[in-house]
Amino acid sequence: MAEVTLDSITKRYREETAVEGIDLTVRDGEVLGVIGPSGCGKTTLLRTIAGFETPTEGRVRFDGEDVTHVPPENRNVGLVFQSYSLFDNMSVRRNVAFGLKMQGVGRSKRRARADELLALLGIEDQAEKSPQQLSGGQQQRVGLARALAIEPRILLLDEPMTGLDAKLKRRLETEIGSLLDELGVTGLYVTHDQEEAMVMCDRLAVLDDGQIQQVGTPAEIYERPETGFVADFVGTSNSLSATVRNGEIDLGFTTYDGNGLPETTDGTVIVRPEDVSVGDGDVEAVVRDRFYLGERVRARVELPDGTGLTVDLDPSTDGAAVGDTVQVAFETEGLHVIT
Amino acid sequence: MARDTAGGTGTESTRTGVGARLAAVRALLSPRTEAERERRRVAVMSLPYFVLAIFGAFLPLGMLARMSLSENQFRNEGFSLDAWETLATEPVYREIAWNTLWFATVTTTFSVLVAVALSHALAKYDLPFRRWIVAMVSFPIALPGIVVGFMIVVLLGRTGLLTNAVAFFTGGSRIDLATALTVGGLFLGYAFSLIPRATMVLRGTFEEINTDAEEAARALGASPLLTFYHVTLPQVWPGVVAAFVLTFRTALAIFGTVLVLPALNVATLRINLEIQDLGFNLAVASAMGLVYFVFIFGFTFAGVRLIDNESLKI
Repeated sequence: MAEVTLDSITKRYREETAVEGIDLTVRDGEVLGVIGPSGCGKTTLLRTIAGFETPTEGRVRFDGEDVTHVPPENRNVGLVFQSYSLFDNMSVRRNVAFGLKMQGVGRSKRRARADELLALLGIEDQAEKSPQQLSGGQQQRVGLARALAIEPRILLLDEPMTGLDAKLKRRLETEIGSLLDELGVTGLYVTHDQEEAMVMCDRLAVLDDGQIQQVGTPAEIYERPETGFVADFVGTSNSLSATVRNGEIDLGFTTYDGNGLPETTDGTVIVRPEDVSVGDGDVEAVVRDRFYLGERVRARVELPDGTGLTVDLDPSTDGAAVGDTVQVAFETEGLHVIT
Repeated sequence: MARDTAGGTGTESTRTGVGARLAAVRALLSPRTEAERERRRVAVMSLPYFVLAIFGAFLPLGMLARMSLSENQFRNEGFSLDAWETLATEPVYREIAWNTLWFATVTTTFSVLVAVALSHALAKYDLPFRRWIVAMVSFPIALPGIVVGFMIVVLLGRTGLLTNAVAFFTGGSRIDLATALTVGGLFLGYAFSLIPRATMVLRGTFEEINTDAEEAARALGASPLLTFYHVTLPQVWPGVVAAFVLTFRTALAIFGTVLVLPALNVATLRINLEIQDLGFNLAVASAMGLVYFVFIFGFTFAGVRLIDNESLKI
């Protein structure tokens, strides 16, 4: 496995800029998630590392070695696609062994390695089948086994769970996440599903409009978003206009202890729904809408200044109906200021 | 006893069969379910084809069969196998069959190979002037064979552009350098007509290729050539077979080009010869036409079977 570094990568297609000035390092043995909305440049980044796109500017390095102009077949990267992209004219075993065949590994060694990986992924009994005979989840395991068989310097996963049903997706996330950890694979995991990325990845890079907004652990990204986009894209958040002065946050309708937050006269306070307590507090809010989500009840309330706020109600104790007035309070530690 | 029972069952089943057929006809005329309405739509849509097939193909073929067995070479009269005997025994017809087949095979193979490369490039790469290339490749389909033949003469004839140019640079004789009326000239004329047809079939096939699978193969260490062999070709193989079948049939049917560039005695030219120049020999021409039809039909059928065969792999 290798450390992969992107130095100031910019990719332009005629008039359009797909990614701009990307500096990013995938550390040896870590799985880095790249998340962002559709069209933000995630796949361009992945294809640049794989060698299918040549950056307009910048360099791609594997363990310091410049591979910017090395063709894909000489980079030794594993690719896993959303569409599985298995070779339908080959059996499952031959799919897994394909990369080894290209490397000139002998037939018996290829077979042994393919069987070992198929067993590791729990699909050893499917070895002789055609990929078309497998379920979506099984096909994705074959895709992963095929990519891992060549012991790639980096494993690139392009939205591999999209298209699978929710239950299978959750199961595979855990299984594959553990497997990648166990094997110590260096990976780049591209997805628009933040929850999936949080489960699978050691760190996340949030991308918007071709630029990196923030890189950090899932907890850092969620708890301390650096931009409004990150706060909005990752999880559910509330944005409130605020000033922070003399150690005090002024939200307009109430004030809180600034808790060491940086001073600003024109800032935005980010607060997650779980950091708003409903039932006690000094701020009155009117319930405008509520949605039963099983584990919790999510509600939209209106603050005294007309601002909307998303909050969670305890399904066992809440009695708030639409139109009711409730008292809300903000957990001071959950308040985060973006200047 | 057993025979009586069997007879009874047979009559009953015949009645049931007739009843079922009548019910099917009734359902066709006044359908009540969506499936019946769908069958009626299919029947209505297929009707023009069957009318055309009967009057445009089956009846003329019947007439050809009758003519080939006629004693009289001008009228359908009496019964004789003379025409068939001539076809089977005269060496010239074996030569024609051989010429027709080898030339069609070679020109088709060449045209399909060129079309594979062209379709691959058009589907895979963001080529400059793509629309112009597509227009250039496809326009010869609209050209009559005679015009194609004439174009080859204009290019490679004794006063042809290329002949003149080569003669100018090499100092050679135009008469010696002219190749329009050689097998090479005819080959070029055939290729001119066949490449667009093969490309037309293959372009659709190449547009459907799973490019992710190709990229997966590249990432796994396969060179572009190995990727084409292991991943692309198995995907496009049915299209290649279809293109070969269509192009080969077209090659067998080319007439205008070979009429202008008669470098090789092929079936279409000979049928024309039998009718026009060799004393209106309708019986032999009909027999040749029938052999031609049976061969094409059998070849197409085999091609379709090959494309449908799911075990077809490279």
